[in-house]
Amino acid sequence: MKYLISSAIILACLAIAKYLTALFASTFPAPLLGMVLLLILLLTGLVKEQDLKPSATPLLNFMPLFFIPAGVGIIEHLGVINEHWLLLLAVFIIVPLTSIILIGSLFAYFKGRENDS
Amino acid sequence: MTVSLWWLSIPLTVCLFLVLRFLNAKTQHAISKALTNPVCWAIVLVSALLVALKLPYEPFAKHSKVLSWFLEPAIVALALPLYQQFIHVKKNLLLILISCSLGVINATVVASFICYLFDAPAQLSASLASLSVTTPITLLVTDALGGIPSLAAAMVIFIGVLGAIFGNLIFSLINIRNAQAKGVAIGTACHAIGTASLIVEQPKAGAFASVAMALSALLSAIIVPLLYPVMQYVLV
Repeated sequence: MKYLISSAIILACLAIAKYLTALFASTFPAPLLGMVLLLILLLTGLVKEQDLKPSATPLLNFMPLFFIPAGVGIIEHLGVINEHWLLLLAVFIIVPLTSIILIGSLFAYFKGRENDS
Repeated sequence: MTVSLWWLSIPLTVCLFLVLRFLNAKTQHAISKALTNPVCWAIVLVSALLVALKLPYEPFAKHSKVLSWFLEPAIVALALPLYQQFIHVKKNLLLILISCSLGVINATVVASFICYLFDAPAQLSASLASLSVTTPITLLVTDALGGIPSLAAAMVIFIGVLGAIFGNLIFSLINIRNAQAKGVAIGTACHAIGTASLIVEQPKAGAFASVAMALSALLSAIIVPLLYPVMQYVLV
């Protein structure tokens, strides 16, 4: 029963989100809108943590498994990687490096460089 | 071949993932934990198997569709950890929000600029526009931009591993020891894999990294589809 209720809440959020994105022909991903809806329900106390846990915990636990098939799709694009490997390598290193330095410095500017400062 | 073995797609993927995750759970060190990341290896091994046996992707995708169906409700369920971590970071929420936005914008701008320098085709730059975000979201955003979702996913996963390995080195180079700053930076730029490894060494960074990860997922979905066309327009 608790599994039924928690899945129903999650699926209802997803269904409403899908309906809304279709209605407004929005490019915003429906699952993310569903997440926002569920977050609002949690913050307003309409949905309690315990009502959600039975289904949410295993879903989150196995989430990485659910995107393995999509990741394997890379084998259809090995040619692109072969052709543009230098570009991919540059993006692979520079993007996270600049982001980490930027965010780390910004946060440290306001909160200090040391722990608990 | 008259007998189809494609029904093995799901049992194979699930078993492989569970074995890899079991092995990963046995490792103690932060860096070896990142290097034995089960998702990364599951994708590499399944891909290698398909390529080695000269099997096409299409039937594999069709037969493992059930797994992909769970992805959408799992993304909705992300609201729960976001809600649970919220209370720990309430005081710093605005700063985290600004930091995440900066990270997401930086990732799109830098990637677009590198693609411009390399004169990359449009499909490729669309695939690299949304890398400062957790894998399931990059699949959605990249698809909406007309890129190659699986390429973006692979990049995101590898960036996570890279951040897990070199994150602490970068922080010591730029002289940052604040666990909160580390958490937000790694959570935004290196999402789940970087976060998991950071928590091993600095549990205090965990709440900040988790919230940063969830916020950058939201912000990416809002910012990237708006920013990417602008970047394409500016860089012609």
